[in-house]
Amino acid sequence: MKTVSLGASRPSTVNFRMPTRDNLVPIRVDIEVDGQRYRDAFTWNPRDPDSEIISFAKRTAKDLKLPANFVPQMLQSIQGQLAEFRSYEGQEMQIKEKIVPLKIDLRVNNTVIRDQFLWDIGNLDSDPEEFARTLCDDLNITDPEVGPAIAVSIREQLYEIASQSVSVMREKQLSKKGRRAPEFSSNSKAVNNAVDLFKYFGSKGSVIRKRKEWYLYEPVVDVVANEEDGKEEPNNSSRPKKRAEEEKVASLQSL
Amino acid sequence: MSPPAAGAAATSGDGPPSSPRELYTIPASSGWFRWDGIHETERRALPEFFGGAGGAGFGTATRNPRIYREYRDFIIARYREDPARRLTFTEVRRALVGDVTLLRKLFAFLDASGLINFSASSSSSGTASRQQEVGVVVEAPVGLQVTPRPPASYFAEEKRGGAGEERENGFRLPPLTSYSDVFGEWTPGKVPICGFCGEECNDEKFETLQDGFKVCSKCSKSNNDNKEEGNKCPGDKKESVDNHASSAWTDAETLLLLEGVLKHGDDWDLIAQHVRTKNKSECIARLIQLPFGEHMLGTINGKSVSRLHMNQATDGKMNQHITKESSSHSTEMVDGMQIDGNEDSADKSVEEHPPTKRRRLFSSMDATASLMEKLALLTTSSSPDVVAAAADAAIKALGNENPQARKAFRLSEREFKTKAFASNHAQQIDHKVGNKDVEMHGRTGSDKKQEKKFIANAYQVRAAVATAIGVAAARAKMLADQEEREMELLMASIIETQLRKMQYKIKHYEELELVMEQEHATSQQVKGSLVNEWLKVLEQAFRTGVSLPRDELLIKLFLNQSTA
Repeated sequence: MKTVSLGASRPSTVNFRMPTRDNLVPIRVDIEVDGQRYRDAFTWNPRDPDSEIISFAKRTAKDLKLPANFVPQMLQSIQGQLAEFRSYEGQEMQIKEKIVPLKIDLRVNNTVIRDQFLWDIGNLDSDPEEFARTLCDDLNITDPEVGPAIAVSIREQLYEIASQSVSVMREKQLSKKGRRAPEFSSNSKAVNNAVDLFKYFGSKGSVIRKRKEWYLYEPVVDVVANEEDGKEEPNNSSRPKKRAEEEKVASLQSL
Repeated sequence: MSPPAAGAAATSGDGPPSSPRELYTIPASSGWFRWDGIHETERRALPEFFGGAGGAGFGTATRNPRIYREYRDFIIARYREDPARRLTFTEVRRALVGDVTLLRKLFAFLDASGLINFSASSSSSGTASRQQEVGVVVEAPVGLQVTPRPPASYFAEEKRGGAGEERENGFRLPPLTSYSDVFGEWTPGKVPICGFCGEECNDEKFETLQDGFKVCSKCSKSNNDNKEEGNKCPGDKKESVDNHASSAWTDAETLLLLEGVLKHGDDWDLIAQHVRTKNKSECIARLIQLPFGEHMLGTINGKSVSRLHMNQATDGKMNQHITKESSSHSTEMVDGMQIDGNEDSADKSVEEHPPTKRRRLFSSMDATASLMEKLALLTTSSSPDVVAAAADAAIKALGNENPQARKAFRLSEREFKTKAFASNHAQQIDHKVGNKDVEMHGRTGSDKKQEKKFIANAYQVRAAVATAIGVAAARAKMLADQEEREMELLMASIIETQLRKMQYKIKHYEELELVMEQEHATSQQVKGSLVNEWLKVLEQAFRTGVSLPRDELLIKLFLNQSTA
């Protein structure tokens, strides 16, 4: 067997995108009009023409029986988030192997799921949706909204990390001193404390986790009884179905 | 997954975690697996670990063969702790440090190759032998149990590879949505769909028939054409529209018809009873119109039959109707010189049946009607001699095929001879058919004769068809010959032109050569004079004793020139 020299893989720069296989942007909408509140999360393909947003907003409002004055707000919210994504798009970001722990803490309808796992943001072949689906299959979660919620949550975290890496790149270019060591720049922000590769992947380390740490990286699923919900969301009278962490991936996008 | 092969058992005696020798079953296709090595299959399936595509080069910290083996061995060992239980990825990943995306790929590979979870589903047989002491003791997984996979995956896989890549060449297609909107409102009511052609009627003009059957303007026009055609036959003007409506087959009726055909074979009375809403002839006509109608009947009857054959075989009445069709056609085509009585009797023959029925047949028998028309057209498009020859051949062939046919034709021939048909050679066949029909009508009163007439008519129709086809073939041959001649002619002219072109080119080149030669001669002259001049200069220089500064150079040049 070959011994492999450790050290960071060669970083490559690409134009900004989601560090996943499908370049889908997580969108979270949370608007309140006349005492009614609408919260939603889904993914959106930034390559889609913007004219689709309005039809999506209209359709959503119609499906959920929301009043029509939700539509412009939804439109605004989605467009704003897409514009933010696109503002990053012209810039470059570094793609290199970096394994970060992602945390999931969601409540979807009656399911509460907590989880932690490691994600390589340099792996452009990753697929949060597939991961979430496997998770739900394995845990036998039947609520169809859980999987998409997990996927969106993963995407949001990846999006944040990616956008931070862009701003770090920009900073580096601006302050031409070039003195900033890459370690420093990557630590400068709250870029998640990346896993110490050497510790686990070095010739002395082991990728098998210590048994006592297993519980940290294990999904925990709780099913909450229905009665609790009413108390938690007193202002959600008009739409009892939408709750705190409820998310819904637009069925359009996943088709 | 292939069934567990008896021979393909991997012993894990030298395997790391579980020390006692155990026998595990893996599929035969995964026989390559060795604890102490990495097979090519693994390298191909997971190139990330081996510096292939998708990985960031060979020696990355988290992806290398050593890490791969560590992952792999752990997962397999973990599964073998309890082979009857299905190992899930979620269970595995909590114990492994690494990118979950990569781990999932690895896990999926092991799962697919049967190295894990192979005997999990067929757990009952494995339970007896599995309980052996295993080296590693692990607590029971929390919150995990053997579960069948949920059948419905609730979000479809997104396949949008390459959508994210920005094209560099500046050319971008107009943006299109990356999804298909299956939840969009389906508005079939907005644009009416024509019941005949199946297309959407975009313009406002469409007719609605009695039973809600919509017809677009294009179809209704052709429909009217049909009506006009029909109007020539007296007495069925009114019925035409009604029958069009009632002759439209719904899907349910067609289904019933097919059922009936399957059940009753070619007993059309029973089939019509089965369909209920349509009568016998309509059923037959419909089945013929269906794209596979003939094929079906052919298989039912145990032999493949042509359309006309089938008509004859299944229902003699059909023939009668077709004959009527052709007879009325012929009367239409005959010019004013035709004998009056002929036309009268033709009409009479039409009116023998209730007009509605005839009309209905006409409308639903479109395919057959147009066939006859086409045949007539084909027949008229060729010269009379060809037609006569073809008719003879057709009759002879039919006679050879069936002695009865010969008899029928001999009979009709005699009648034919009594009639004078000096002109209109071209329409001879149609006339013959029509006239004979008429003659028969006029002459035969008894039922027996009627019967005979039907048979005769049937053969005549066949003869007519054969004739027409023969004529068409002859004509096609002629046309082909002509085309061939033309092609030859064109080819010859092309070759000629090419030759001329070549000649011109040669001429041009000759001229060019001449010019070149002249230029060569002049350049030679100039060269000579130049040499002379140099000689003079040198002579002078020697004579005066002055050495030129560029002397050597010049001499060298001169020498070079002369040697060259």
